[in-house]
Amino acid sequence: MSELGQPGLSRLDRLRCAVEQGAHLLPRQGPIGVFVHHNTLHAFEHLPFEDAVKQAGQLFGAEPYMSEASYRAELARGRIQLVDVDAVLDREPDFLIFARLSRSSLRRAMITPGVREFDGATIVWRTEQGDLAKDFRRAALRVLFEACFARTVAHEEEPVPPRPVDEVIHPWLIRLCSVFLDQGTAYWPMPNREKGFYESVRMLLSRRGGILPKYLVGLDEEFRRQECLSFSAADAVLDYLDSRSLGEDEWPGILQAELLALPGWAGLMHKLEEDPTLAPHKILPCSLMDFLAVRLTMSRIAARRGAEEPIPEEPPLKTQERRRLSRTARIYDAARVLRLSAEEVASLSDPEWAAFSSEVKAFNGLERRRILHRAYERAHEREILRGLASHRKYRGLFDQPQRPPAQVFFCLDEREESMRRALEEAHPLVETYSAAGYFGVAVDYKGIDDPHGAALCPVVVKPEHAVMEQPKPGDSQLLESRRWRRRVLGLLMRNSFVSSKTLLRGWLSTSALGLLSAVPLIGHLLAPRHYALVRDWLNEAFLPEPRTELTLMRNTKQSQGAVSGLLMGFSPEEKAERVASVLGPAGLVRGFARLVVILGHGSSSLNNPHESAHDCGACGGRRGGPNARLFAAMANRQEVRERLQQKGIDIPLDTWFIGGYHDTCSDDIELFDLDAVPSTHKPDLDSIRSSLDRASAQNALERARRFESCPADADAERALRHVEERSEHLAQPRPEYGHCTNSVCIVGRRSLTRGLFLDRRSFLVSYDADVDPGNEALAALLAAAVPVCAGISLEYYFSFVDNDRYGCGTKLPHNVTSLMGVMDGHASDLRTGLPWQMVEIHEPVRILFVVETTPDRLKKVITPSPALKRLLENRWIRLATIDPVSSRVHVYRDSGFEEFHEDLERLPVALSSHEWYAGKLQHLPMAWIQTPRTATGDRPR
Amino acid sequence: MNAFQDILIFVVVAPGGIFAVFAFLWLLGWTPSERLLSGITGLTFSGCTAGVAALIWKISSASNITVTFGNWFAVGNYHFPLVLMVDPLSVPFLALAAVLSGLIGQFSATYLHRESGFLRFFLLLHLFAFGSLLAFAAGSFDLLAAGWELVGITSVLLIGFFERRPAPVENALYVFGIYRACDIGLLVGIFAMHHWAGTASFDRGFPTLTGARSVVVCLLLLLAASGKAAQVPFSGWLPRAMEGPTPSSAIFYGAISIHAGAYLLLRAQPLLAQSAIASSLVILIGAATAIHGTIVGRASADAKTSLAYATLTQVGIVFIEIGLGLRWLAVAHILGNATVRTMQYLRAPSMLHDYHQMHSAIGGDFAPTGKQVEALLPERVQIWLYRWALDRGHLDTTIERWVIAPLAQLSAYLSRQDRARTPFPTTIRPGRAVQVSAAGPTRRSH
Repeated sequence: MSELGQPGLSRLDRLRCAVEQGAHLLPRQGPIGVFVHHNTLHAFEHLPFEDAVKQAGQLFGAEPYMSEASYRAELARGRIQLVDVDAVLDREPDFLIFARLSRSSLRRAMITPGVREFDGATIVWRTEQGDLAKDFRRAALRVLFEACFARTVAHEEEPVPPRPVDEVIHPWLIRLCSVFLDQGTAYWPMPNREKGFYESVRMLLSRRGGILPKYLVGLDEEFRRQECLSFSAADAVLDYLDSRSLGEDEWPGILQAELLALPGWAGLMHKLEEDPTLAPHKILPCSLMDFLAVRLTMSRIAARRGAEEPIPEEPPLKTQERRRLSRTARIYDAARVLRLSAEEVASLSDPEWAAFSSEVKAFNGLERRRILHRAYERAHEREILRGLASHRKYRGLFDQPQRPPAQVFFCLDEREESMRRALEEAHPLVETYSAAGYFGVAVDYKGIDDPHGAALCPVVVKPEHAVMEQPKPGDSQLLESRRWRRRVLGLLMRNSFVSSKTLLRGWLSTSALGLLSAVPLIGHLLAPRHYALVRDWLNEAFLPEPRTELTLMRNTKQSQGAVSGLLMGFSPEEKAERVASVLGPAGLVRGFARLVVILGHGSSSLNNPHESAHDCGACGGRRGGPNARLFAAMANRQEVRERLQQKGIDIPLDTWFIGGYHDTCSDDIELFDLDAVPSTHKPDLDSIRSSLDRASAQNALERARRFESCPADADAERALRHVEERSEHLAQPRPEYGHCTNSVCIVGRRSLTRGLFLDRRSFLVSYDADVDPGNEALAALLAAAVPVCAGISLEYYFSFVDNDRYGCGTKLPHNVTSLMGVMDGHASDLRTGLPWQMVEIHEPVRILFVVETTPDRLKKVITPSPALKRLLENRWIRLATIDPVSSRVHVYRDSGFEEFHEDLERLPVALSSHEWYAGKLQHLPMAWIQTPRTATGDRPR
Repeated sequence: MNAFQDILIFVVVAPGGIFAVFAFLWLLGWTPSERLLSGITGLTFSGCTAGVAALIWKISSASNITVTFGNWFAVGNYHFPLVLMVDPLSVPFLALAAVLSGLIGQFSATYLHRESGFLRFFLLLHLFAFGSLLAFAAGSFDLLAAGWELVGITSVLLIGFFERRPAPVENALYVFGIYRACDIGLLVGIFAMHHWAGTASFDRGFPTLTGARSVVVCLLLLLAASGKAAQVPFSGWLPRAMEGPTPSSAIFYGAISIHAGAYLLLRAQPLLAQSAIASSLVILIGAATAIHGTIVGRASADAKTSLAYATLTQVGIVFIEIGLGLRWLAVAHILGNATVRTMQYLRAPSMLHDYHQMHSAIGGDFAPTGKQVEALLPERVQIWLYRWALDRGHLDTTIERWVIAPLAQLSAYLSRQDRARTPFPTTIRPGRAVQVSAAGPTRRSH
């Protein structure tokens, strides 16, 4: 608003400001091929969480929390406990409403036993035949209702808002947006689209000789008028605003409402306006002003043609009566749970009655859900902190007595938590670590099969270095033939697909060759895994992969790519810096094993427009294999190790790094550059390879417990086959559950969580406060991990609590549009957020960070960082610390850290993770997995 | 009754029986587990497929198979014969329906896992399979119409599968309207056949009609066929039918339902061959649809609409083939088109993935499309044609403005007259689904 008042700005600038203000609220999701998790309500982060969800809920017509019934079910099954409800209510202001009734006891009673929801639409039925009618059979309740009814007054009538013209203009607008933005679905690209949306639409629609729908008759004339006046998009918008004689102070509101009517499409336009290179194939001149110009021109005609006139509703008197009844019912229900009698209600003085009824009204469904949600999170918080503290107390910080056979780095992703645990169970001497999955190597990477490079790093980072995969000297011939064959195959596929959709070529191909489609159809549907195996075998036979290496060396200081401006490869100093940035904070500075494995991750699935959402968030929604490979290659270089030694990281000569890739969907693990491993390390390699294989099968088994379609008695091998089939199944809408169920992020040493069953619900960041006296490493870790993890957690939160508004609904009717997003059916808004199949088993809680440090040290890290401070103080995240020395736990509540006091009981013990989870579908509490250890550290028999 | 007659009865009745049993149990409050339901679906359609294979074997060596149950009922001269018949024309369609229903059942068991409408979907799939098998195995137009209507109603119910959102319900209602309007052709056509030829059965030769009568019957059947096959001018409903779950879009609008109209015309071929007017009209409609489909499809940027128009284009050509009397070419074309489209619809969600794969395989540069026929036109015509394509040939707009709106006005007028003459006050609560009627009464005062 403040910019609007500035006198120095021209009218056009003020319009731009107003558009920008409206645009601020649009979804921030880019083209769906690269899916980056982010806070759905990013635009509201300046507000406290509870205010934000309320405001956004009103603006978007969305739910701020789960339904009251869901919380009640959680209360009934003990997931929310009454102590938590009381503890939350105790923190709310309290006073006497009238003698004998305090605010907190009213609220407590309204939550449990609890009041019902009433609305005008069903109230008459409920009083006549529903639950209220049942109440009225008891005379006391009937007179109570009557007493309340007598004291409830009817409110004045509300004006009927104009009917939105959306249903008239959206079919056109959606189709125009989809062809304008199209990246290659349509055979015939929209003419003149390089001139921008407004101009190309104007050229299209101003032509004479078309037939327009009833409410848009005259649209062509209007566009012709604008053409004659050579309007720009902004002129057209201004012209609309003037024609409705709207003052400048009304602009932001109007424009915001127009943008939010079709937020998905407008949001994509906005996103592509900011960064046109996000478009996967064709760069287009997008502009929100263009979008508005088209939209407003259409609205103007529709309004002129009378589309805004409201449809007559039922007589207002009847509505009044319903409103009064439902208002009465709410107060009546509160009086009922308080066990007030009709006489007591009648005897209240007018101010007392007013106070009572307004308190009941104030503690409406939304407020009750707010309280219940706090209690829901509080119960979760207590369980986690109690478990962690107990594990720390009874297990202690156990240190490895001997040199571990291998150390394995994973991404901090919560899906790798079970993988780490499985690996430690498979080989109890192996140590695991975790770091953000790009492993400090922000790079623009181009593999041998990629046409262009892609940034493999968090979206907020711009890579400055380029690395290419190239064939090893002897294999360039192989690569040539691979490229050539792939090209032929690609052209064949492309041509057969395109021509099957055309007239004449389609005729030939469908009638002569059409039945051949039965082969992939039947293969895919009846034997998906075998079909994939045959396909892979054919690929290996006809498209053998050359052995490759990475171009990571840079000796001359300034060898920049001529076009990209990127530095080619890394200099020795840069390499050492990257390696140190991961090993240092994780506390791995000495005691290296003979093998250190770095595993990036990603996910492959079929028929899944949201595939990229399962990839590595730290790699910008892409697959992190190359980063791991690059990291290992750097760390193996002598000149890098020398420089690392100066930084206090002492890597012995006999330590070898191996990069790898973990597919979180099929649980396949691939290790790179094994031919370079020294022969002395072959036994070590064989040993870790077999441990990894056992671990990935165990991991598949643990994941499979959530999948109803995997038989409950499956063993690890069977589970592995099951998840492999999932990643290859054409009909599988949930190839994996992704980040679903995430709820915690633990930043600390592995010894804090080793042997702790965390149910794949916890991000883990390796951090050793002992080697970080100045807290610099912590600051760097939190600066990267908090926004990423909070973004994931909040996106899951919102997509779960209102899957229709904040999420994109069920996947089943999704329709890939313009190769950039999905619609429901043939003409809907672009659906943003996560589909139901991805979030269905989620528990919507704000993520709880537990950092192994002291509150004081943590404050020193958070206070200087505005981003962290804002997330914390506005309660978008929850935070706790566990002291690395004294193991005392502090939790951040309201405005500061409080010590967490609970009796610590021993966690239940299980001999293996499988013993703990076998046969269970639901979320599981923590347990202590005490893997039996043999003296040699081999796998226990 | 020999074994093959039993097989034929089993093939047709099995899915209907499954529907009836499970629907009845559902009414009693029992919901079967997903595993049971998908297992039984698999068994049923495997059985049907095996049965159809046996029928093919029999047909190739001997003559048609006919099963007669007598008449359902008879009123005066009219009788409703229950007669199933398999001949070389119906057998490929039976095979298509049995195999694809089975495959779609297999796909949907995974795709709809944990969906609240799982049972509803499978009930409708079985009812649809029963309807289509009945239509293809019917020995008379009367029975064919029964199957035809089942296909129609299941189609509509599956478009409106996500009944909590307004768009699927509105679009389902639109499709229902078009179906009803066009099915009048089939019903009146059957009536005319009975009236003029005394029968609508074709198990023992085709009803004999001559001259103008045969033309009239042909035109009526053509109306029905065009509606079901989304031919011009009814094509507008096809993209709207994409609101349902992907597998139902695949089997209905990629494979079976969309080709049912062509089957009807193939059945009526003896009649069609007599009349140059009717066959020319079939060719004309087919050609118009093929051209309409290909141009509109070229300007469709979403996966399912673009596939819908690709399918439609080929169905238009199938109509041309039928009009020219190339029956077997038409059948081969239908089989090919149906298989290709089923696969393409089922793969539609991975269009993004496939595109990236092809893109990288080719080396990052697609040859531009839309630079051939389109680019030859003068620019003014190009733009005009593009808008024409974008509004899908103005078909829906035309129907809305000059058919639906006047009808709505008429009905509004009648309802006002009715209310004026009825002494009881009735309350009418307009909902979203009846937008069109609201245009009438509120607009009149201005």
